Amino acid sequence: MLIELQGIHKTYDNGQPLHVLKGIDLNIERGEFVSIMGASGSGKSTLLNILGILDNYDEGTYHLDGTLIKDLTERQSADYRNRMIGFVFQSFNLINFKTAVENVELPLYYQGVSRRKRRELAMEYLEKLGLTQWASHFPNEMSGGQKQRVAIARALITKPQIILADEPTGALDSKTSVEVMQLLKQLNQEEGLTIIVVTHEGGVANETDKIIHIKDGIIGEIEENRSHSAWGGSIIK
Amino acid sequence: MKKWFDTDTFREILNSILRNKSRSLLTGFGVFWGVFMLMLLTGGGQGFKQLLMKEFDGFAQNTCIVIASSTSKPYKGFEKGRNWSLDYGDVDRLKNMVPELETVSPTVSLWGKTVSRDEYTSSRAVVKGARADYANIETPKLKYGRWLNDADNLQERKVCVIGKRVYEELFPEGGSPLGKRLSVDGSYYTVVGVNWNEGDISVDGRASDSVVIPINQAKRAYNLGNTIHLLCFTAKPGITMSDVTPRVKEVIARRHLLDPTDDQAMFLLNTQLIFGIVDNLFKGINFLIWLIGLGTLLAGVIGVSNIMMVSVKERTTEIGIRRAIGATPNQILGQIISESIVLTLVAGMSAIVFSVLILSGVELAMTTDGMLKAPFQVPFWTAVLAAVLLAVLGVVAGLMPAARAMQIKPVDAMRDE
Repeated sequence: MLIELQGIHKTYDNGQPLHVLKGIDLNIERGEFVSIMGASGSGKSTLLNILGILDNYDEGTYHLDGTLIKDLTERQSADYRNRMIGFVFQSFNLINFKTAVENVELPLYYQGVSRRKRRELAMEYLEKLGLTQWASHFPNEMSGGQKQRVAIARALITKPQIILADEPTGALDSKTSVEVMQLLKQLNQEEGLTIIVVTHEGGVANETDKIIHIKDGIIGEIEENRSHSAWGGSIIK
Repeated sequence: MKKWFDTDTFREILNSILRNKSRSLLTGFGVFWGVFMLMLLTGGGQGFKQLLMKEFDGFAQNTCIVIASSTSKPYKGFEKGRNWSLDYGDVDRLKNMVPELETVSPTVSLWGKTVSRDEYTSSRAVVKGARADYANIETPKLKYGRWLNDADNLQERKVCVIGKRVYEELFPEGGSPLGKRLSVDGSYYTVVGVNWNEGDISVDGRASDSVVIPINQAKRAYNLGNTIHLLCFTAKPGITMSDVTPRVKEVIARRHLLDPTDDQAMFLLNTQLIFGIVDNLFKGINFLIWLIGLGTLLAGVIGVSNIMMVSVKERTTEIGIRRAIGATPNQILGQIISESIVLTLVAGMSAIVFSVLILSGVELAMTTDGMLKAPFQVPFWTAVLAAVLLAVLGVVAGLMPAARAMQIKPVDAMRDE
């Protein structure tokens, strides 16, 4: 079991306590391609932040690859994030003043990998995603789909256990959305990567093998979707 | 893990500083100006001090000169307004009665004399009679030859030591004038030395305008009798001149029947007092320079801190991304502080270089005949101190922005803009 969540509670306290996660139990196996679906305010982003060790939880346990993730120092959590998790964000979150290849290199920079090695690996991953000729371009010279592919390359370069994608198609048109989802699916099938996609779009969720519905801070239905037939089978709404 | 300094870190820092060139430039300018002012003013202040000290060139710092003047008070049957003069008796009397004195040396001076080498070459000069020990009062800077010695005086030799200006006018072709004979008022004197002193103190004429001859020779040649014009003395080491002068006054006043309370009858020029004033003046100026310089520098550093704060705020997303993909808070802290250090150091160093260049220019302008009048350059260790100070200030300036950057959580990057 790669991810094991048990009785996770999370309350935000901004003047008035807001109980966001009310006891989440969730297991995700290695190699699964899962989506977490829910309306805004359902707690899906909070859950993703906890999964990505970006945020703490108040109660319960979270085991990642057998390690209990709780009360880590900033340094430890930075290290876990760097080695275990690759992030793909809705707004790409590339650093604007760095070229594509420099962006992809960045996680390795924080691992202390030498520059030549970094550059080599980054080019390798860009090639894999068909972006070789865009390596020295800046993010604002690229299309949304290209940017998201650069971001995926950046997420992959540390050979993480899990890819966490937060609305990866949120800023893309439907054609590009399909391409990005196809890419994620391919990575899951060919590399055996565990991929968790957070989305509110049914079409996107349908591309995944399992859909976890979350509502008001509790896990609702867990839908097996091997046939990709939920929501009419199309990403286009 | 990572080394503290490597080219990658440096590239990251340079990258983020160069990203906003005009802002970095303006921010750096505050620091630049502070350091520039500090360096320029310290160098300049010191140069001007040296320049002023040059006016006293050659004069021993604990010298006092006595000059006779007319009395302003009636005393022992004498009316006020009486003229009196110092004489050789005063020299012996002082030497015997004031044991704190080291050298007591009389001089006479005869103004507006024509000194000629031949019928075509002549110069106006002050003819001074002095003893060998006058060298203890005003140290001669001998370019050629020697100073007068005791034998010159005892044997009333017709020899002279000429000043720089006199030498230049009489020997425009340069070279050693030793052994040449000069005519002063019809008598011939052999040149035995050239005094290169350039002090501007003109107690009985500047050194560069003088022709110094043995005082006994002067006494005879000009029928001066027992009269001397100036009486110069130095105090023994460790003795404060002001403590001795009242006693000196008393001894002379009694001998010449002067009212001891008559301050005008006798004028005492105490160089120690003057040196003290100049010294204090420059101490004050130096204090002001450092106050202004450090104040400006501090304002510059606060500027750096302020801009870094804005920059951190602007880069919230960027820092959040870096955190999300594995940067530890310490790495972020290191980056912000390094940026601050680099910014302050580069600005400060260019200020040091720039001020050194300007001061070199000043020195070049002050150099005549390949001789530097006064050093204006910033001392090497002051510059080193400034550089170290800058690095420390860089850290201080970076602290607050870095603390704020540390508080940025990776989640902050995920928020939609």
